[in-house]
Amino acid sequence: MLKVALIGCGKIADVHASQIKKIEGCEIVGACDNEPLMARQLCERFPVRQAFTSLDALLDQSRPDVVHVTTPPASHFEIAKRCLERGCHVYVEKPFTVNVQQAEMLITLANQRSLKLTVGHDDQFTPVARKMRSLVQSGYLGGPPVHMESYYCYNLTDDRYARALLGDRGHWVRRLPGKLLHNVISHGIARIAEFLSTDSPHVIAHGFASQLLKGIGEDEIVDELRVIVSDRGKTTAYFTFSSQLRPSLHNFRIFGRKNGIVIDRDQETLLKLRGARFKSYAEIFIPPVNFALQYLKNLATNAKTFASRDLHMKSGMEHLITRFYAAIREGQPVPIPYREIILTARIMDKVFEQLAVEHLVDTGTAWDIVRPTATADSLHAIHPSSQLAVGVNTKTDEHLR
Amino acid sequence: MRKARRVESRALKSTQADSMEFQNNIIGTDDLVLVTGAGGFIGPHLVESLLRHGLRNLRVFVRPSSNFRKLQEIVAEQGKRARIELMQGNLLSREDSRAATKGATVIFHLATGNGNSFPDAFMNSVVTTRNLLDASVEHGCLRRFVNISSFAVYSNVGKPRWRLLDESSPVEQNAGSSRDAYCFAKVKQDELVIEYGKRFAIPYVIVRPGSVFGPGKAAITGRVGNGAFGIYLHLGGSNPIPLTYVANCADAIALAGLAKGVEGEVFNVLDDDLPSSRRFLRLYKKHVAPFRSIYVPHAVSYMFCWLWEKYSRWSEGQLPLAFNRSRWHSEWKKTRYSNDKLKTRLGWTPKVPMAEGLDRFFTACRERGQNA
Repeated sequence: MLKVALIGCGKIADVHASQIKKIEGCEIVGACDNEPLMARQLCERFPVRQAFTSLDALLDQSRPDVVHVTTPPASHFEIAKRCLERGCHVYVEKPFTVNVQQAEMLITLANQRSLKLTVGHDDQFTPVARKMRSLVQSGYLGGPPVHMESYYCYNLTDDRYARALLGDRGHWVRRLPGKLLHNVISHGIARIAEFLSTDSPHVIAHGFASQLLKGIGEDEIVDELRVIVSDRGKTTAYFTFSSQLRPSLHNFRIFGRKNGIVIDRDQETLLKLRGARFKSYAEIFIPPVNFALQYLKNLATNAKTFASRDLHMKSGMEHLITRFYAAIREGQPVPIPYREIILTARIMDKVFEQLAVEHLVDTGTAWDIVRPTATADSLHAIHPSSQLAVGVNTKTDEHLR
Repeated sequence: MRKARRVESRALKSTQADSMEFQNNIIGTDDLVLVTGAGGFIGPHLVESLLRHGLRNLRVFVRPSSNFRKLQEIVAEQGKRARIELMQGNLLSREDSRAATKGATVIFHLATGNGNSFPDAFMNSVVTTRNLLDASVEHGCLRRFVNISSFAVYSNVGKPRWRLLDESSPVEQNAGSSRDAYCFAKVKQDELVIEYGKRFAIPYVIVRPGSVFGPGKAAITGRVGNGAFGIYLHLGGSNPIPLTYVANCADAIALAGLAKGVEGEVFNVLDDDLPSSRRFLRLYKKHVAPFRSIYVPHAVSYMFCWLWEKYSRWSEGQLPLAFNRSRWHSEWKKTRYSNDKLKTRLGWTPKVPMAEGLDRFFTACRERGQNA
């Protein structure tokens, strides 16, 4: 029986707990949160053996094999490091860390101790994402990707999403190097990182506050981002984050020399884009029929998945956790290669560095951001009084996820 | 204090009439009263009610994200008669909670969590309440904590149809697994207040309003029906809806905080002349906007809830537990209500009659172009 523990008892911890309880051969032995009431409420609603308010007490008494870190991002590094040092495998919610140096340190530590790590990029494991991966691996694209487009949007006009962040000038999201973007774009960036062959791509980023935010006096949050990523002339990618674009897309397009693929996370659809053209007028009539048939097939697949009760909103997370636990128990490869985790962090760092410069040029003022360095001590030194630095507190306002 | 901002207005001398009225209250007119969640729907009405009761020293606490324009209007209007301190902050912060409760003799705790998730609702209802209670214990000057709960906490399962639901009715015991996040949070909030009452001798009163309505409230209560499926399903039928007009509700809350001899009591708040669900819907269509609805008989709606619940559990949450038997019993089963305790113990009467309240509500809905 694999012993699992949760650190941080906010909304995303609920999702983790509900997915873990579906997986056979594991048990949640403890939940920890700085706030005892939050730890208790989770233990009351899920089959969790014991609640803790101290990470060390949890590790000492519950002795988990795996720890899920579901706290605010600024605390991920310190908590994951401590768990690795105590011999636990670690699942860290996204974003993995606040910068690439921290990501590299955690992975080095895990390798040194022969422990496993993963990050909560569960969007990579939805049914259509898995199907797309299989297609790419089978050579459907006709070689390495030539170009990718990743759309990851966020409906900031929805009051539920915006209220917590925009109303609270001290919200922890504002303290991240990439602010709002830091908490949400890693899913979309990871999709690109998976198919890049270089470890240091060229990144060009442009970000700005939408008219909506400017209109309400918001001057700190960048909610429109366009990024070009280039893999030294082999593969290029566009990444778009937008709070205003409609429909609010979560969409990925990948094109090879032969064919292309489009997946849509919201609709759970996958479309194959045929590279070859039909002759003459056939190109006008046959492809629409082909698309119609593909959509019908997607409908049938979704209906079948629904009927077999596997169309959960977070089925990707269940699959990711299952694969991660299999990696721990059976020595299989980790579900997300460490190279992909580091590359995602590196691209995000480059984006945020450029946005900070852009902000300085545009406004004449520096972005008021945390610049965490790689070590926990220096993290603490930056925010000695802040729970954000090393706390085990609840990740709240999870609508920001 | 983080982000706290204070807007104070001048204090004036008390009037003789106020002093007379306050002979029956637990505090004097100049004692400090705190209202949390003052920027919400009930908050401004409660402030007005407290001022009408002659209180002249109020602290109103709002979230930074609140729209507190109405409160500012009250401050501007009443500034010559009372001292009203407008404080912004976050009750999840112990520091803010300490600042808010400092010197407060009565706390009206309206602030609540409305999140869809259990952790969000719990944190914004229970953790905030704990912070206020801890801070009050520290300050040691609290005379009464008025906890605003909800009708949602009552369990109606296993009771006969048309039974009387009153303050003695049992509270939901399995809210974490069978009800929504709001109900769970409110049940836990009530438990916490009762626990603090026992452990620290904090005098408290629990107020459980029914469906609060009035201008500014969004559309139709879920006790009437549900429009989630494209067409409005009328589920209430001939059930009375436990409505309370916002100003009447605020008056009841004010009395619960001020009246002597009601420590540890629970008060349900609902008005007289409750309309049936069917009548409410008919009036709404007539006075606001016509729309299509289908009446779903009780047996059918129960079966629907039962099937939904079964499927939700079988599929391990593929469909959320939005419809279930507990909710059916609580919201759509034929039930009678009473406000006798409110009237006999607090001397409350609804100042705005139901007909007038409905008229004001429908007029406001019509003007805003609201529809179910």
